[in-house]
Amino acid sequence: MYERYHIHQEVTAPRFRPVPKFIIQRAGNCINCGKCERNCVYGVHMRRDDDPRRMADPLSQFCKDCFRCIAGCPQRALTISVGAEFTSLGSGGWTPQRVTTVWNESETGKVPVFGAGYRGMFSGPGYDAMWTDMSEIVRPTRDGIHGREHISTNVLICRNPPFLEFGPKGELLTPMAESIDLPVPFVFDLAALKESTKGIMQGLDQAAKELHTLLMVPVDKVEAYGMDLSSGRVVPIVGDDAGNEVSKMPEQVRFIELSDANRLKERVKAVRAARGGMIVGTRVKADAELESRLVDIACEADVIHVLFDEEGRESGGRYARDALRSYHKVLVKAGIRDEVTIIAGGGIAAAEQVPKSIICGTDVVSLDDALMVSLGCRMCHSCKGECPADLANAPSEYVKGRVVNMANAWRDQLLEVLGAMGIKEVRRLRGETGRAIFQEDAERDSFAGIFRGDVIG
Amino acid sequence: MSLVESKEKCVPEASWVPAERLKMINRYVVERKGSCISCGLCGSLCPYGVHKRIEGHASILPPFDQRCIGPSCSSNDFYCVKRCPTSSLSVSNSETFPALGDVRWTSEMVLGTWKMAETGKALPLDHPANVGACGGGFDQLHFRLPKGSKPVKDHEFTTAIDLNRRSRGPRVKIDLPIYGGGMSYGSVSLHTMVAKARCAQAWNTFTCTGEGGYPSELLPYQKHVITQVATGLFGVKEESIKRAPIVEFKYAQGAKPGLGGHLLYEKNTPLVAKMRQAVPYTSLFSPFPFHSVYSVEDHKKHLDWISSINPNALLSVKVSTPNDVEMVAVGSYFAGANIVHLDGGYGGTGAAPEIAKKNIATPIEYAIPKVHRFLTNEGIRDEVTLIASGGVRTGLDMAKAIALGADGVVIGTAELVAMGCVRCGNCESGRGCPRGIATTDPELMMQLETDWAAQRLINLYGAWRQQLGDLMSRFGMKDVSELRGRTDLLRFDGGKEVKA
Repeated sequence: MYERYHIHQEVTAPRFRPVPKFIIQRAGNCINCGKCERNCVYGVHMRRDDDPRRMADPLSQFCKDCFRCIAGCPQRALTISVGAEFTSLGSGGWTPQRVTTVWNESETGKVPVFGAGYRGMFSGPGYDAMWTDMSEIVRPTRDGIHGREHISTNVLICRNPPFLEFGPKGELLTPMAESIDLPVPFVFDLAALKESTKGIMQGLDQAAKELHTLLMVPVDKVEAYGMDLSSGRVVPIVGDDAGNEVSKMPEQVRFIELSDANRLKERVKAVRAARGGMIVGTRVKADAELESRLVDIACEADVIHVLFDEEGRESGGRYARDALRSYHKVLVKAGIRDEVTIIAGGGIAAAEQVPKSIICGTDVVSLDDALMVSLGCRMCHSCKGECPADLANAPSEYVKGRVVNMANAWRDQLLEVLGAMGIKEVRRLRGETGRAIFQEDAERDSFAGIFRGDVIG
Repeated sequence: MSLVESKEKCVPEASWVPAERLKMINRYVVERKGSCISCGLCGSLCPYGVHKRIEGHASILPPFDQRCIGPSCSSNDFYCVKRCPTSSLSVSNSETFPALGDVRWTSEMVLGTWKMAETGKALPLDHPANVGACGGGFDQLHFRLPKGSKPVKDHEFTTAIDLNRRSRGPRVKIDLPIYGGGMSYGSVSLHTMVAKARCAQAWNTFTCTGEGGYPSELLPYQKHVITQVATGLFGVKEESIKRAPIVEFKYAQGAKPGLGGHLLYEKNTPLVAKMRQAVPYTSLFSPFPFHSVYSVEDHKKHLDWISSINPNALLSVKVSTPNDVEMVAVGSYFAGANIVHLDGGYGGTGAAPEIAKKNIATPIEYAIPKVHRFLTNEGIRDEVTLIASGGVRTGLDMAKAIALGADGVVIGTAELVAMGCVRCGNCESGRGCPRGIATTDPELMMQLETDWAAQRLINLYGAWRQQLGDLMSRFGMKDVSELRGRTDLLRFDGGKEVKA
């Protein structure tokens, strides 16, 4: 029977008090008149429980910056400011806004919806300098919001044969390789998480189970994390002795990753000798040389897992937005793009970056830091000291709830993007750069002929 | 039309409309300590009117922060802080001020818009409130203004544009290249809608009902009210089509292109539901797209349907800004549209998924020149009126949009800001706007008084028109149509980070 893919989300409250964006302060000249209490529709201003003659301290976490209390205060006793704790959240591509957005998504599992227009920068580095297309009339289904469930977010991880051969009676002659059908185009990369306690890993394992997705785990850690290779969810990352490692694995393991692309041919051969039909991927660091090695790698490995740095760049070079487009093109030119699967990870910090990565040419996106932020990480990089989110003690049910919620919100947002474009399958989005608008192209076309006084270089 | 005539006809009087509830949000804070002896010296010193002592009153009035020019005043002889005999005064930057606004609507811009709405006077062209800080688009496009400034009177230039540029159909001229955007009954309050309609009447331009029905309170202004036919067909009735001088087809909205409308359940009060012929307190999605339109031929059928009901209505087609926006514009023209209305991605909305606002469809700045050029090359540019919206925040943005190739603009958020919106972005949920603008909550909406709001809008429109006039006079232009498509007058400062 057809089973509709559904992610079960449940509100998962944060373990610590939220970081308020706006801080309301009440000065000493307050006369406790209570006007602010009447003015505020969010319940920021309340009288004290123990002494109703006096106002309690403002509950800044409920403040939504509407300025009503400020304007109504006869004593001018109230001030509102953007909290320093809020502005110090995150680092690099993880802006305070992105961190708190992921927190909210992880709490509710819902797509963030707000009033008023866009309030951020016009564009930015990497994926921020592109827009996805929309279509005025073409729809994947004609059912508007209710038609979203007919949009497929499934992706395949496999090596595709370059062509199919059929016998005289129409029977398929080409042997079909193993394939893994993921219902969402993202996987969890656990190789370099900021915190890796058993509680977190167990929670991530359960989240992957709920989502039917995969976890990339170094093979020597599988046991320590309390994971089971026979669950079929774990993609072990194996080192030099790949053939030997693989021969010990249960048959449920259908996909392994090599830790790097050194001696690739040899190691792939060893794996295939140990277990025919295994999908072999290789992790490769995105750097300036990768593009030239890519075709060779693609000839050996079935899956190329490209790892960008934390900022989503080729070790300080091009952003994934540009690098992925080149990789995609190189493989298309060599005529083998459709034979391999590309997974791209590193620097993914927001829901929109999933469809954008796919447009630029990856098949699957791997998540790393986003998983940590979902659990309450502030991306403050002070992991050696005391963690403000106390990630080490995060219980596994909490981890599961948060990550599943985030995944659900991200998938729903992917559906929004696909729906707006009129695309029915996420696989059709891969490498579809024609369905995106890149800033430099738009500026070249639209602002042609406009005087550029200050442009340097 | 002679210019003298246009003076009488198109310049409604501006009047001073202070905002009691906005006066606490200021750049600077002037504090007076208890040690003040109310001598009144500061009152006689300050030329800006921060301090005022009314004869016969025991003590001086609280300082009027809004008028203070800040700590930079300290170099003046009349600096109140220095001259106060009891050292009771202090002037400092407001802690609250930076919490207002964001990079697109900077605090300066919000305050500047309030000022124009309050006084009706244009801000100088080099005022910081004219540009945002979002680092792209309009904020990186600047006019290459010739030196020197000539003050220009409001009757010495004309800003009127034709909305029907085809040979058939009624002539419709608006007196300034702006009309009000569609905000539905439900997303905003009736007071807001009526205030917008009054402003449209005063300026001989239009406002739009949005997709939520045509409230009877707008009937006295019906010559200035556009009605919208959008994908949910909420509140579309034969009689409202018949009375509308312009009917707007909303294919998509810039802030949420391809996603349809969105009214969350709490704002769908019984009155709203009745107007929309829907069930109260259910979330209303206007399901994208038009379920009867699969092609440009179907689109023509749609326009013909309205034309057969009301042959005198102009047809406007509101579309978003996808990659192929120029094709959409041409298609709309050949289907019979008089107005092609492009709504860019960074525009306002009552509720939209955050992902859609930034990431789906391009900002309006890229779409206008593309469409303008394409229509020109097709030889049909002068038969269609091109209107831009979605991120037109100031008078200068309007002028830039026109220089990029639009005939006029539609504004929405700027109007709301003039009415006291602080852009807190909570229009969508709960009882709606806490400031009473974008809400149908019977209690909250009472905060906004229609007369007050209408006059503030009239002031804002007047100030923008004057800014446009000032700008045109610098370039020696008399008519706004001379400015259209003059990209040679612009300078683009962006593109550096992309090139690097």
